[in-house]
Amino acid sequence: MNEVFTSLKRTPYQTFAALSVLFFTLLLSGLLFISLTFLQGLLNYVETRPRIIVYFQVKATEDQIFAVKDKIEASGKSSKVTYITQNQAYEIYKEFSKNDPLLVEMTSPDVLPPSLEIDAKDPKFLSEISELISKEQGVDEVQFQKDVVNNLLSLTGNVRRITLIFFSYLLFMSVIVLTTTLSFKIALKKDEIAVLKLLGATNNYIRKPFFKESVFLGIIATALANIFLITLLIGMNNSLTLYFSDVGKLTFRLLGLPLQVFPFNLTFAALTLTVTGVFSFAITSISSFMATNKYLK
Amino acid sequence: MISLQNITIKFPYSNTALDSISFDVEDNEFIYLVGPSGAGKTTILRALLNDITPSQGSIVISDYEITNHKFKHKAKLRQLIGVVFQDFKVLPEKTIYENIAISMRVKDFEESEIKNEVEKALELTGISDKSEKFPVQLSAGELQRVAIARAIVGDRPIILADEPTGNLDPKTTWEIMDIFKRLEKTRTILFATHNTDIVNSMKRRVIVLRKGKIVSDKKKGGYEI
Repeated sequence: MNEVFTSLKRTPYQTFAALSVLFFTLLLSGLLFISLTFLQGLLNYVETRPRIIVYFQVKATEDQIFAVKDKIEASGKSSKVTYITQNQAYEIYKEFSKNDPLLVEMTSPDVLPPSLEIDAKDPKFLSEISELISKEQGVDEVQFQKDVVNNLLSLTGNVRRITLIFFSYLLFMSVIVLTTTLSFKIALKKDEIAVLKLLGATNNYIRKPFFKESVFLGIIATALANIFLITLLIGMNNSLTLYFSDVGKLTFRLLGLPLQVFPFNLTFAALTLTVTGVFSFAITSISSFMATNKYLK
Repeated sequence: MISLQNITIKFPYSNTALDSISFDVEDNEFIYLVGPSGAGKTTILRALLNDITPSQGSIVISDYEITNHKFKHKAKLRQLIGVVFQDFKVLPEKTIYENIAISMRVKDFEESEIKNEVEKALELTGISDKSEKFPVQLSAGELQRVAIARAIVGDRPIILADEPTGNLDPKTTWEIMDIFKRLEKTRTILFATHNTDIVNSMKRRVIVLRKGKIVSDKKKGGYEI
């Protein structure tokens, strides 16, 4: 490690440039990763909520309602269908309007429509279920969160694409800057490399100090970026908790395992650290290999 | 055992550097390669280090046929060879101890073995008191001793010395030759020089080169320009 510190101290400007680029790259990578997983969690949340509510006419009979319910269940596109009677609807209304007793007094159960709350197995069934039941007898209105889901799907897709392009660009830029910095350092040591080769040093032996140096810079940059990211998450956690008070928690599946994205937690912070760490290792390994390769050929 | 057979080396845009050179070297033999500048002494040493590939012919060192185009053991080959140059080629940012130890570190020796062997080499070359100094603090003669110490540590049975006394005054030259005398019979040494005095003083095998050809190869020869 002494050799690494000595080498870094001897070229402070190059060290600063490489560290800055790595830090910035890893910080952005971390932010993109958090945004992407948060959006995915939000999408998963929306996908698991009751999305279709079928309101029946007030005079609709229970037979008509159960006929619609049976038809939906028989389609195989729903995971759950819940019947909300007029009395249950009134209870919900009372709870919702508890701060306005006058409104509650003016309403009675028989003016509220009965309804069915339907959980679709997949967001793509939303339109199909809607079309299936909209013309059934007794059905007054079909509501579902088509726009919300479509917007989230579109946003998640766009973020994925932008992330991929951005990641590639960041990787390219970081590798170029780090390779240039290391090449400069290697140029300063070309006499030493020549002597080492005469003595029978293998390419890996010659590469090792440069590899160690760039990986060390990567570790520092990863640590700094994660300290920044964790501080940011802790700072945002309270305001996001207020904003998403109805949501509770957001999760997404990683390698088949459910992972809580929000509220932010230690496991998620560890995953962010792992992702930025892997990214950092990839950048530093590729850079040191490319920089040394030129002198070893 | 080193064997060179019909080695021809041609550099681009220049004359033939070596022209059908053949000779064998026994284990622990001491050989002077002599001749004027441009005769091909350094080219032979570079070919033995696999630094340049002959246009034709074959070189065998130990079990390695190094002229084979598929030869991929350059590092292993060089780990058998210690090199001593006119310009010392010591690393200015490392201490004398580190400069010598690096010859063993590239071969993955244990630190305890390195310490033991480097101390012996420092003693043999008479620079034990300089181990913690840096090259800039040493004279030319002392730097050449460092280069010799570096060449002999780490189980290297062959030493290639290219004009090792070329930058030294007469007194230091003889001190360096004393070290080489102590090393002979323990290692195979190829010593390139054009210093007639040191060649004639030792009466060892002398290969005389001129314009890339061997003009004489005498078992206990001398040399006159």
